[in-house]
Amino acid sequence: MSEPVVDTTHEEGETRLSTGGLGRTLLVAAGVVFWGWLLLRWANDWLGGLFVPVGQPFVAPATIESLGASIPGLAGAFDALAFAVEYLPALSEGLWLTLVLTVLGIFFGFFIAVPLSVARVYGNLSKYVSLLYTELLRGTPLLAQLFVLYFGLNISGYVPGFLDGVFANNAAWAALVGFILNSAAYQSEYIRSALQSVDTGQLTAGRAIGLSKVDAIRYVVLPQGLRFAIPGWTNELIYLIKYSSLAAFITVPELFKRANDIASSNFRYTAMFTITAVLYLALVITASRMMNYVEDRTAIPGLGTGSGR
Amino acid sequence: MDPTVVAQATGDWAFVLDNAPYLLVGAVLTVVLTVVSMLLGFLVGFPAGIVEVYGGRVSTFLVETVGIVLRGTPIVVILIFMYFVFSTPSLTLGLFDVTVTLSDAFIASVLGLGLRSAAYQSQIFRGALQSVDEGQLEAARSVGMSKLEAIRHVVVPQALRRSIPGFQNEVTIVLKDTSVVFAIGLAELLTRSYDLFVRQTTAVLEVVLFVSAIYFVLTFITNRGLDLIGSYYEIPGGEQA
Amino acid sequence: MSDNEHTYLLEVDRVSQSYGTEKVLRDISFEMDRGDVTVLVGPSGSGKSTMLRCVNRLTEIDSGNIYLDGERITGPDVDVNELRKEVGMVFQDFNLFAHLTARQNIMLGPRRVLGLDKEEAGKRADEHLEMVGLTPQADSYPGELSGGQQQRVGIARALAMEPKLMLFDEPTSALDPELIGEVLEVMRDLADRGMTMLVVTHEMSFAREVASEMLFLDGGKIVERGPPEQLFDRPEEDRTASFLRRITEMHS
Repeated sequence: MSEPVVDTTHEEGETRLSTGGLGRTLLVAAGVVFWGWLLLRWANDWLGGLFVPVGQPFVAPATIESLGASIPGLAGAFDALAFAVEYLPALSEGLWLTLVLTVLGIFFGFFIAVPLSVARVYGNLSKYVSLLYTELLRGTPLLAQLFVLYFGLNISGYVPGFLDGVFANNAAWAALVGFILNSAAYQSEYIRSALQSVDTGQLTAGRAIGLSKVDAIRYVVLPQGLRFAIPGWTNELIYLIKYSSLAAFITVPELFKRANDIASSNFRYTAMFTITAVLYLALVITASRMMNYVEDRTAIPGLGTGSGR
Repeated sequence: MDPTVVAQATGDWAFVLDNAPYLLVGAVLTVVLTVVSMLLGFLVGFPAGIVEVYGGRVSTFLVETVGIVLRGTPIVVILIFMYFVFSTPSLTLGLFDVTVTLSDAFIASVLGLGLRSAAYQSQIFRGALQSVDEGQLEAARSVGMSKLEAIRHVVVPQALRRSIPGFQNEVTIVLKDTSVVFAIGLAELLTRSYDLFVRQTTAVLEVVLFVSAIYFVLTFITNRGLDLIGSYYEIPGGEQA
Repeated sequence: MSDNEHTYLLEVDRVSQSYGTEKVLRDISFEMDRGDVTVLVGPSGSGKSTMLRCVNRLTEIDSGNIYLDGERITGPDVDVNELRKEVGMVFQDFNLFAHLTARQNIMLGPRRVLGLDKEEAGKRADEHLEMVGLTPQADSYPGELSGGQQQRVGIARALAMEPKLMLFDEPTSALDPELIGEVLEVMRDLADRGMTMLVVTHEMSFAREVASEMLFLDGGKIVERGPPEQLFDRPEEDRTASFLRRITEMHS
C-alpha cells in the first residue's frame, strides 16, 4: 500500500517539466505545431480528404528531401523529416485510438474509483471488498490483466451489437474494459489518500449543521478530497497514456501497434520508435500541462497545496 | 454440469500444474530482472538525483531532460528501442569459474527497465534530498564540514531513509513492468504463460490467472518485506518519511 | 414519562459518558431556561467539551437523558440530523468548510439541510454575515480570513440554521490574543438578543459579564454551580476558588 508521499514523488517527476523563458516558449511552440498538425490531420481524414487525399501527408516527402538536398549539411536532417512525414498520417490514426482509450479509461474508471475510495475510508465490510479489489488490480501487471480479459475471457467476443463496429477492432473493447478496471484501482488509491488528508473536523462540522453522513461526505469531504487528488490524477492520466501501448499485444491498433507494424515492414526500427517516443512525449507533456492548469483553476486560497504551486 | 466440461477443466488445471516448473523458472527470471534493473536504476538514479538538487545549470538541465524523455515514453517503446538500437550480441561473463551467457534480449531488458527506473528513482531521491531541512546542511557546515562532507554525512543518510516508501513503490512498478519484456521475447513469467496457452488454448484463463497469482504474491512479498525494512531503519521520533 | 414535565429549554438529567474505561462524565445534571447563557469552566480533561458534544450527539452518552424544548433527544429513535438543525455548534478550531467562501459556508446548511433554494439561502447568509460584521468578506475563502474572522463566520454558519440553542466549544482558544475581542463581542451581542447559549471558555471576563449561570466541572462532575458572582466572589469549594484564581491570572 503506497503512502501519499510516494505519489507526490512520482507526480513531481512526471509533471515538473523544463521551465525557464526560452524553454517555455519552445515548448509552447512545439505544442502548437503538434496539436495544430494533429487536429488538421484528423479533420482532413475524417472529412474525406479536406486538404489532401485521406492518409496522404500534407507535404510530399519527396519535396522535403529535394529541399534538403539544396542546403548542404542539412540533407540528413531533411531526410529524417521526410521519413517522419511519410508515416505520420498512419500514426495519427493510432494516436486517436490511444487518446480515446486513455480518456475513456480514466473517465469511467473515475466513477468506480470514487465509491471504492469512499468505501475504503468510511466503509465497514465494503472497506475490505474495496481493499481486495485495489490490491489485486495493483498487484498484477496490466498486461496480464489484458491477457485475462482478451485471451482468457474473450471479452471482445461478447461485444453487444450496438457497440460492435464502434472500434475497427473489437479487441479495443477488451482493452478499454481493462483500462477502466485497472485505472479505477489506481485512482481509488489516490482519492483515498486525498480523502484521508481532509481534516476530520470538516466532517464533524458538516454533521454538526445537520448533514447526514452521506451528505457531509458529498458536500464537504469530496469537494476538498477531489481537489487534493488532482496531482494523483495527473499521474494516472500520464500512466495510462503510456500503458495504453500494451493494448498492442491484444491486437489493438493504437499508436505503438501502428509504429511496430510499420517498422517490421520497413525495418527502420530506430527511426520509427524515435518518432513514436516523440509522439507519446507530446501527449504526456500536454496532459501534465493541462492538469496543472486544471489544478490552478480549481485551487482555493489556503486549501492544501493548490495555492502554492 | 456436463461431465466432459468438468474433465476438461481439471485437465486444464492439470496442464497448468504440469507446467508449473516451466513457469516458475520464468518467475525466477522475473525476479532477477527486477533486482538487476533496480540496481542499475539505483546506480544511475541516485547520482542523478543528487545532480538535480546540487548540480550546476548545465548538468541539471541534461539530467532533467533525459529524465523527462524516459518518464514520458512508454516502457514498451523504451524496451524495443534498446533491443533494436543498442542491439548487443549476447554477452558471456566469467565469474568464479561460472560462465553466464546473457542474451541480447536480457541486456536490452535490463537497460530499458533499469534506465527508466533510474529516471524515476532520481525523482524519489531528489524529493527526499529536498525534504531534508535546510538547517541540517547549515548545522553541518557550522561544525566545519565542507559542503560535500555535509551532504554525504548529514543530508544523504536522512534522505535515503525518507526515500524508502518511494523506493518500495518503484520496486513493485519495475516488477510488474518486467512483464512488458514480452515485447522482445525474453522468456520471463508472462512470456512463458503466453507460450503455454498458445499450445493449449483451452487453458488460457487457467494459465493467465496462475501467473497473475504469482505476480500478486511477488508484489505482496516485496511490499511487506520493504515495510519491514522501512520500520527497521526508522529513526525513533524522526519524521515519518 | 410525559414530555410535559420537561419545561426547560435544555435539561441534562444524570448523564454519564465514558471513553473506553475512562469515565468522562459522571452523573451530570443541569438545566437552562430560554435566553440563559450557561458557561462551563474546568481544567482540561474535566469533560466540559464532551458535555457540549453530547448535547448535539457528536458524542453519545452511556446513561441519563437530555431534553431539548421538552423533547427527549437521547436514545436510538431520535433523528440526530433533525436534532442538529435545532442546535448550533461553534468549534475551537473553526472547522469552516475549506473549499467554500464565507457566504457559501453559511449557505450550505440552509440549502442542503433545510431545503431552502439558492436565493433564500443566500439572503439568509447575507443577513448573518452582516450580523457578525463580515459583509465585505462574503466571497473570501477561509484561508484568506484571519482566525477571528473565521470564527465569526463559524458563528454565522451555526446561526443561519436558526437554532434554539447554541453550543460554543472554546471558541477563542485557538485565537491570537488581539483577535479574541471581536469574537467575544459577537457572542455578547448574541446573548443580548436572547439566544440560549451553552459556552465552554476560559474567558473569565466574558463569563462574569454575560453568564446567567456558571458550572465548574472537575473529573467529570459538577463541583459547583451558581451565578458568576457567587463562583468568583464567594465560592463554596476550595477547588473552584483555586481554579478560577489560576485561570484569571493566566488570562489577564
